Amino acid sequence: MINVDGLTKLYGDFVAVQELTFGVQPGEVLGLVGPNGAGKTTTLRCLAGIIPPSRGRISVAGHDLLGQPLAAKKELAFCMDEPRLFEYLTVEQHLNFTARLYQVKDFRPLADQLLDELELSPKRHALPGELSRGMKQKLVIACGLLHSPKVIFFDEPLTGLDPLGIRRMKDSILKRARDGAAIIISSHLLHLVEEICSHILILKNGRLVASGTMDEITRRFSSETGGTDLEEVFFRATSDAAPEPGPRA
Amino acid sequence: MTAPLVYLFWHTWRNRLTSRLKRLREPKYLVGGIVGGLYFYFYFFRHFLGSGPRGRPGLGPEVGFAMDIEGFGALAMLIIVAGSWFLPHSRAALTFSEAEIAFLFPAPVTRRTLIHFKLFRVQFRILFSTFILTLVTRRFGGFAFTHAVGWWLILSTLDLHFLGCSFARTRLLDRGVTNWRRRLLVLGLLGMVVGGTAVWGWRSLPVGELASGSGVEPYARYLQSWMAVPPLNGVLLPFRWMARPFLTESAGAFFWALGPAVLILLLHYTWVVRSNVAFEEASLEASRKLAERVAAVKSGKLHVMGGKAKRRSSLFELASTGPLPTAFFWKNLISAGQGFSPRIWIVIIAVTVGVSAGIGRSGLGSGWLSFAAVLCGILGGWSVLMGPQLMRQDLRQDLPLMDVLKLYPVPGWQVVLGELLAPLAIITVFQYVMVAVLCGVLPATGATRGWAVSLPAVALATALVLPFLNLLMLQILNGAVLLFPAWFQSGREAPQGIEATGQRILFLLGQMLALAVGLVPAAIVFAALFFIVRLTGMASLAVVAGGCGAALALAGEAALGVFLLGKMYDRFDLAAELPAGG
Repeated sequence: MINVDGLTKLYGDFVAVQELTFGVQPGEVLGLVGPNGAGKTTTLRCLAGIIPPSRGRISVAGHDLLGQPLAAKKELAFCMDEPRLFEYLTVEQHLNFTARLYQVKDFRPLADQLLDELELSPKRHALPGELSRGMKQKLVIACGLLHSPKVIFFDEPLTGLDPLGIRRMKDSILKRARDGAAIIISSHLLHLVEEICSHILILKNGRLVASGTMDEITRRFSSETGGTDLEEVFFRATSDAAPEPGPRA
Repeated sequence: MTAPLVYLFWHTWRNRLTSRLKRLREPKYLVGGIVGGLYFYFYFFRHFLGSGPRGRPGLGPEVGFAMDIEGFGALAMLIIVAGSWFLPHSRAALTFSEAEIAFLFPAPVTRRTLIHFKLFRVQFRILFSTFILTLVTRRFGGFAFTHAVGWWLILSTLDLHFLGCSFARTRLLDRGVTNWRRRLLVLGLLGMVVGGTAVWGWRSLPVGELASGSGVEPYARYLQSWMAVPPLNGVLLPFRWMARPFLTESAGAFFWALGPAVLILLLHYTWVVRSNVAFEEASLEASRKLAERVAAVKSGKLHVMGGKAKRRSSLFELASTGPLPTAFFWKNLISAGQGFSPRIWIVIIAVTVGVSAGIGRSGLGSGWLSFAAVLCGILGGWSVLMGPQLMRQDLRQDLPLMDVLKLYPVPGWQVVLGELLAPLAIITVFQYVMVAVLCGVLPATGATRGWAVSLPAVALATALVLPFLNLLMLQILNGAVLLFPAWFQSGREAPQGIEATGQRILFLLGQMLALAVGLVPAAIVFAALFFIVRLTGMASLAVVAGGCGAALALAGEAALGVFLLGKMYDRFDLAAELPAGG
């Protein structure tokens, strides 16, 4: 569903992402982790078509993102870490606007369902300025899910959510994966990644240092010192003495 | 405890200046800085440094009659001060930046220290204002030094007075004196001064003096004579002391005048510093509002300046399927607000046409009609140039959300077209109203008598050309957003200062050049068709034909422009504008 081959992104002379190659299949949830400045957000922005890669190929739902950007974008959603909303559109108007852009026929039942699921129904006539950060985040997610995307990118999806919101968000992500969506989550919350991701990709300084299923990754980094959790794996993988990355399809 | 605040102030100022100077290494800022510097030199500094009227006596003798400028200045300050006691309703609030609040309010810093920090920082604004005002008033003569010191004393004293007044207001509110009770008290005091002056003056002033002379002079003389009447003259005395250093014409007089003015300043300073009023809570709110206003101005969202965005209903129902540009049109019309709802337009048109027709039929006078015609003509012409600058519900508004726009599966040319539609519709409807009113009014004024062409033909030709002309103007402005996004950047990184002024001047020149080039084909087509059809002897038809041709030429340019801007949008690399991220 998502195929990335040799993705490289340069900001002038600075290499933000270097030769990144990986894939995510339908139903998989890939956790993208790494220290600050590792290139996670840049990677997601490239995958979402917001910024063009300097090199490499990206395929989303069978569409080449560079050759057929509109077809690819129709199949994806990107929920950014910082809610980005139009300050003069209400919650309902945001959904209406999004429905038109993605040509979602008869969107209202689906919009109502999403608003209920994300507990936004009482706020349907509210402007972003009247919403808490968590509610704004939920609205971004509702807009992202309105067109039933096959590929979903989440950048720190739990920021600003209350405990109940976190629980519902996790359930929502897993439900979408069970329904066949390919999902990438970028987060610093390793327990979240450990809990809901089937695969892990660890970035450091723009380079892939480890990738695979949770078991593969854990086995690889625990071979020297015994059993460990993702937090330990993360520290070992991103330390200067980390082993060379292994291959992953 | 003041040492950390001095450290903060000094390093803030130094780092800001350093970053501005470093930025000049980028050509766009350097060129902007040079152009901005030249602009400031030719507009202000030339008069200050060059052959201005340096050393000429002060403002007083330059005026045509022996006007008591000091008295009028004192009266103006009295009105300002009275207003500061009467008008405001909020509690005392020293405005700090959000970072200052986060660091200073929880820190072990006394209120008095915070007030000193605030007063010290305000001095930069006052010194800048003093500088600008001195440059301006120097053009009318006088000594630069006395003007500068005089302005500084006036501005500093007034600033301290406003602050002290806000503290006193808060203290009164804390003691249960409501705003309206305070206002009644102020009105009572003013009433006593005015009443006492009226009673005293009525007996001593010659009423007939107002009738002699011409222009404003008799009124000025009359008011001047009232200012010399007790008790007003006594009330004005401290204000006269404040104004006097500015108006002195010799060094000796200046130093004599300095004493009382400085004394008033020191008294104000003592009043403010000795006030122990809780301003923190109100400061939080004031600082938040200020931050919102600054962000709104920097991002061009002037409608947010008045407060938070308001819920607005859409002008039409947006179906979930259909042309994609309509979605942007719908969104941006909501942004433009209810001020442009059809109901408002219908009311405006009905009232304007009704009043015009009514005045015309009653024969009350062509003066009003002429005024209406001139007004509509000016507004219509002004809207062609300024309308696209003011109506920014397009890519200029959405630039901060460009990463969101880039996510949408919408071809670039459709995004651009959709973004342009709302301001285009608003400006064009406004211009059509102006044209319609002109059509109704002009014949009644007699201005169309002797025209070789009929008014409806001219109006039709104008109506054909206007939307495409507006579209061309909007494309130039939106093209600049895509070409030079950094110039439209909002927030902390937004260009400021002299280089930003230079950039705006350059941009305005570029806009005028692009418009002139864009109009050439339309003008050629108009002229060609006009002269060809004119040969048939039908001048009105020639104008309409020329208008049609010009509109078609402009439409062709606009279509090409939308296509090119769409390509630019597709190629627009946000990587250059967004931080690298994690």
